[in-house]
Amino acid sequence: MHDHQVRLSVPALPQFARLARLTVAGLANRLEFTYDEVEDLRIAVGEACSLLIEAQAETTASSGAGGRIDVTFTLTGDELVIEVSGEAGTVLREQGEGLSDLILDAVVDDVQVDRAEGRVRLRKRRSPETA
Amino acid sequence: MSLGDEERGRLRERFQDYARTRDRAIRDELIEAHLRLAEHLARRFVNRGVPIDDLVQVASLGLLKAVERFEPERGLEFSTFATPTIVGELKRHFRDKGWSVRVPRRVQEMHVEVNALVGELTQQLGRSPTINELAARARTSEEEVLEAMEAAQAYRSTSIDAPAVAAEDERGIANQLGDEDVNLLDSENRLLVSELLTGLPKRERLMLQLRFYEGMTQSQIADRLGISQMHVSRLLAKSLAMLRERLEGSDHP
Repeated sequence: MHDHQVRLSVPALPQFARLARLTVAGLANRLEFTYDEVEDLRIAVGEACSLLIEAQAETTASSGAGGRIDVTFTLTGDELVIEVSGEAGTVLREQGEGLSDLILDAVVDDVQVDRAEGRVRLRKRRSPETA
Repeated sequence: MSLGDEERGRLRERFQDYARTRDRAIRDELIEAHLRLAEHLARRFVNRGVPIDDLVQVASLGLLKAVERFEPERGLEFSTFATPTIVGELKRHFRDKGWSVRVPRRVQEMHVEVNALVGELTQQLGRSPTINELAARARTSEEEVLEAMEAAQAYRSTSIDAPAVAAEDERGIANQLGDEDVNLLDSENRLLVSELLTGLPKRERLMLQLRFYEGMTQSQIADRLGISQMHVSRLLAKSLAMLRERLEGSDHP
């Protein structure tokens, strides 16, 4: 089974999160994820992108330069791995309410948030019921 | 749309009758007599992606409010009084719905259809359907289904973290969920509930946490997660059903 990788690089602006959400929906569909799982992935990718976009906005507010976020999707058999990262130097701050963590954790199988590196890694496997 | 003098005079009397008696039959008659005004105003809002039938419905609601609030003794023409009320109702519809000018009608209609089909197919299959199954049932492509799913979020992406103002229909949703929800928050039940929560699948647990612990409304959850309120409602119903099942299971081991 070969891995397939898709990369998306978009301006770090909220309106481009939609593109990442659409992309993950399309890829999840290729792997025959169910409607509920596709919704989960859209939520997860939207959330991860928002985190990075916000972090980026804080980082670039002083310099005035518009940053980008990179989203890498890796398809392996019945599994989808998504990595979202910002420009070098982007740091994800600890969140007070932790709502994002709660959401991410609920909709994918595995979440790794590397705050210092400004990177979020998500992994979700297709449920066996439709296979 | 202008009415004849005779008709206008007759309606003025009927408005006075209604102001005095608050008789529903008179109210309905007055609404009926002014439906053309509502339709006329609704037409101003076509080509914004909302079907004309829906617009007329919304305008009629505005008309109803105008009829109820109209005070004939002030001497104002009803149409003068009603127009801002109806237009206000239409504008609010666009704002609340979040349907933007730019979502093509085709996608919106597909969004509604997909939402309905998900419920149907989930029940039939006993599991969440695949996109392919949804597309086959809707006689469309998988891409169209995916686009329709994203349409729920399309124009809210700029305010992912801004909680939406509670929709007016929240009361209706509370009713729909039933009394159990209130009881969930009783202190003596809280411990039991949180114990039961830990056993739930993560997605279902999240919905209950957001709804009852974070105190978010269904539309706030939908906005926050970028999914349709219908999906939130479905997941909540499922979560509550699971919770109930567990609760009954623990009562009768």
